Amino acid sequence: MSAAVLATETVARHFGQGPESHAVLTRGLTKRFGKRLAVDGLDLRIPAGSITGFVGPNGAGKTTTIRMLLGLIRPSAGSGTVLGHPLGHARAYLPRVGALIEGPTFYPALSGRENLTVLARLGGLEKKRVDAVLERVGLSGRGLDPFRTYSLGMRQRLGIAAALLPSPELLVLDEPTNGLDPHGIAEIRAMLRSFADDGMTVFVSSHLLAEIQQICEHLVVIESGRLLFQGGVDELLAARAPELIVRTENPGDARYLLALVKGTGRRARILGHYESTTLEVVADGSWAADLNRLAMANGITLVHLAERRSTLEEAFFEITHSDTNGKSPKGCPTAEPDHAETTVSLLEAKVPGP
Amino acid sequence: MIWRAFTSEWVKMRRRRLWYGSYGAITGVVLLTTIVTIAGALRHPASRGALTLAQMAHASGLSQGLTQSGVLLGAVAFSIAAFQFGGEFSHGTLRNLLVRQPRRSFLMAGKTLAVLTFLVGALLVATVVGICAAFVMAHLRGIPTSAWTSGAGMSDLGSLLGDLVISTCGFAVIGMIAGVLLRSSVIAIAAGLAVLLPFETILTDAVPGTGRWLPAQLLESIAQGGSTTAPFEAAVITVSAYLAGAVAIAALVFERRDVTA
Repeated sequence: MSAAVLATETVARHFGQGPESHAVLTRGLTKRFGKRLAVDGLDLRIPAGSITGFVGPNGAGKTTTIRMLLGLIRPSAGSGTVLGHPLGHARAYLPRVGALIEGPTFYPALSGRENLTVLARLGGLEKKRVDAVLERVGLSGRGLDPFRTYSLGMRQRLGIAAALLPSPELLVLDEPTNGLDPHGIAEIRAMLRSFADDGMTVFVSSHLLAEIQQICEHLVVIESGRLLFQGGVDELLAARAPELIVRTENPGDARYLLALVKGTGRRARILGHYESTTLEVVADGSWAADLNRLAMANGITLVHLAERRSTLEEAFFEITHSDTNGKSPKGCPTAEPDHAETTVSLLEAKVPGP
Repeated sequence: MIWRAFTSEWVKMRRRRLWYGSYGAITGVVLLTTIVTIAGALRHPASRGALTLAQMAHASGLSQGLTQSGVLLGAVAFSIAAFQFGGEFSHGTLRNLLVRQPRRSFLMAGKTLAVLTFLVGALLVATVVGICAAFVMAHLRGIPTSAWTSGAGMSDLGSLLGDLVISTCGFAVIGMIAGVLLRSSVIAIAAGLAVLLPFETILTDAVPGTGRWLPAQLLESIAQGGSTTAPFEAAVITVSAYLAGAVAIAALVFERRDVTA
């Protein structure tokens, strides 16, 4: 048995599934640059046919991981498969992979069409693919213009067109919405959805958590090169306690209602300043009616009562131990290994296995 | 696979500005050396090494201008090759290429062949322009040109052109190696030209005999069909050995090094 086949089977056995159900599987993937550990024992599982978001703070190791998957960087340790082929045999799977890595980089003097032709010829792809992908990303009308004249949005779209050239089964996009305006972001979002509809596996890294929440079914969160979470986006959001947001008519009533809620054994707090009328109650929507009755029974008039869904941003800051400004709270350093381990165990325990 | 890399590289090299710049520079060098050589020819023998009008009328007269252009052509070829390879790193375009062609040695071989054919094409164009200029200058200086068009003259020109092709390709391969190892077109061109031109010249002047071991000196000798310091065959063998070793190292580094740009 060849080493390549053995490596594939070892990874598949570890996860208890055939590699065909996952577009990407890694086991202990590690990259060290000198003394700096960029990626630390990453076990990735990217389901085939899904849109998987890849998030983490700057310098978390996302791009290094992507480069290892694409054969641009050699892992220091670990193994893995991409589309069923071992990581070390990039030439076996790259013809079925499209990638946009760290923003679109092309030859400025060449037209968009010529830039794609360079890549198409190199990959032995048919010439008609160039026109097809330009059409797909809406650049047919500007295909003959030099790349240097393109706007940022057009550059990103050309980068995606280049990734689409081989009709990929796996599309890896590193920050495809970087620097785009809301209109451009919406365009890319629609495009990614259409790729998934075509059956592609899309693995997309982004800083825009709201975007990831909107388009991704599956999520991988890393920090300091270590895996913090992977699983369904809904599973991550469900892992956070649901909340009811309540606003009383009178400021004094808010403190009174707070005491009443705490009396039922539920957690609650007043949001904002001392005289605030808004309460946050840890409870799901099914308790809203009880809360309303409790307020009415005690002569408190509510002007607002709603269930608040957790956002991916809140979940992200929670698992990366950062506040909403992206800063680590005192005594909770983001790079502290024990904290990271704890977070993984708490979150992954709630996520069903593959 | 190498063919794919070759044709892909040619898509890049078809751009007009590169043609005008490269072909213009190489043609300019040949034109300049041809005009200066014929214009500077003396009526009577004077200082040692200076050509006379009588010598220019010999069968080898037509190729005298080309003979003098070896190092300058080499510098241009080196710069173009270093730019083509180093630029892929500094522009970050290498990662796109490697995703589509993960066999790095094939990519490197295809690119190198494309650059070399580009330069040989430029050299042929420059030679034709140089020949035209030589006839014009000969007419202006009153040099008889019947020997130039004789069989011996054509043979001499063909032989010199072959030597120039070898020399220019040698400089280009050194440029390619510099681009791959230094991963920046600017650094590769600056450092490479500094070593190949002033440093080697100073070293050759300061330490007699070193000319037969230094790559740029050897390539210059090849361009001139051999010299007293480095005979043609010895120069070709030594340069070939240098280039084979350097290409092997560059290929190994290119194959194994992480692409972080």
